[in-house]
Amino acid sequence: MKEPLVSIALQAYTRIFAPGDELVADFQIDAVEPGEVEAVEASVLWYTEGKGDEDLGVHFFKRFDGNRDDGHRDDGQADDVPLHELRSIRTTLPHCPLSYDGRIVKIRWCVRVRAFLNRGRFVVADQWFQLGSVASPSQSVAESRKRGSERNDAGHAAANGAGGERGGKARVPGTRPDGNARPDGNARPDDGERASTLAAY
Amino acid sequence: MHRDAGPTPNDPPPGNPFATRYVRPGAIPFFFAAGESAADLVARLAANGWRGEIVGPHGSGKSTLLATLLPEIERAGRAVATYRLREGERRLDEQSQRVDRLALGTAVVVDGYEQLPWWRKWLLRWACAQRSLGLLVTTHAAAGLPALYETSVDMPTVDRVVGHLLEGEPEGAAIVTREDVARAMEAHPTNLREALFALYDLYERRRQGGL
Repeated sequence: MKEPLVSIALQAYTRIFAPGDELVADFQIDAVEPGEVEAVEASVLWYTEGKGDEDLGVHFFKRFDGNRDDGHRDDGQADDVPLHELRSIRTTLPHCPLSYDGRIVKIRWCVRVRAFLNRGRFVVADQWFQLGSVASPSQSVAESRKRGSERNDAGHAAANGAGGERGGKARVPGTRPDGNARPDGNARPDDGERASTLAAY
Repeated sequence: MHRDAGPTPNDPPPGNPFATRYVRPGAIPFFFAAGESAADLVARLAANGWRGEIVGPHGSGKSTLLATLLPEIERAGRAVATYRLREGERRLDEQSQRVDRLALGTAVVVDGYEQLPWWRKWLLRWACAQRSLGLLVTTHAAAGLPALYETSVDMPTVDRVVGHLLEGEPEGAAIVTREDVARAMEAHPTNLREALFALYDLYERRRQGGL
């Protein structure tokens, strides 16, 4: 038996949008029989992800159904297309909440399409995008470490003279014990433990 | 200069497999011991006149078991009216559906039955009996209904839960090891929910570079 497939594509070269940008998303449902789709709901929403209570807000919502289909095509013509065929939604993105990749809470934005099929079945798909460019805590710390490291380097250079090679090597946060920088530039206090631990999962 | 090798703009942002959206009841299945199944429990519930209680401590999987049983109860032909009581709530939220207006034969499901004062419990049981409604509850201690299941947490079950959460997440499996899980369970021996939240924190610390 075929599994219905929901495809969503953003009409943009990037998944990063600024507040006030217009977002246009195309979607269609494949691998369904004619008449199998009874309704389609498309929404643009944000939700929180973390370890506590969850929150969700719907910025845009549109339902297309067989009896009262108020959808439209991009060319502005009347909508008499079957529910599973290509459709678009268009909305201007709000100013908040901005996407955020925090440690305790994350804010995600997505285009969500839910297709209601006959016999009470439904399929749902999300297309992620980012609203705004708020730095995550790890990025902020990496930046501040980088700035601190640059200041330290300048200080060591001043203390050691122009050559700066005398004395022991200072362990800079974000480096391995051998002095090589981690790829992400961040220190992990338990590096040694992790290296020796077998990943059982 | 080396740039942080973050996700490309087309990749979804990395998630945390221990976040609420993946571990909440309904998002994760209840892992039965060998020889048990949701269908067996629903058959037992039906044999008890659709009355029963699921007993266990905080975070031991009562709500997850409930979420696994509800579709089976509906498949067995019973409408379900679910009430969830949070910490400190002392009455059913009946704004959407009052118990005394439910259709005959509906199964009333109360998650967090222990929150109700004794006289509300008595009223609820009386109303259910009057209208031939089923009554299935979760509670921390036996509440006088037929015992349906007793939830508890053991390491083999925890292994299955964590294995399920990390399925298809090779990065996650490298970040959180079985030793980490064992340590989290030592800290929260009867509360899997808290242990998973501890793993959430550990995962974030390691993923984001040990802030």
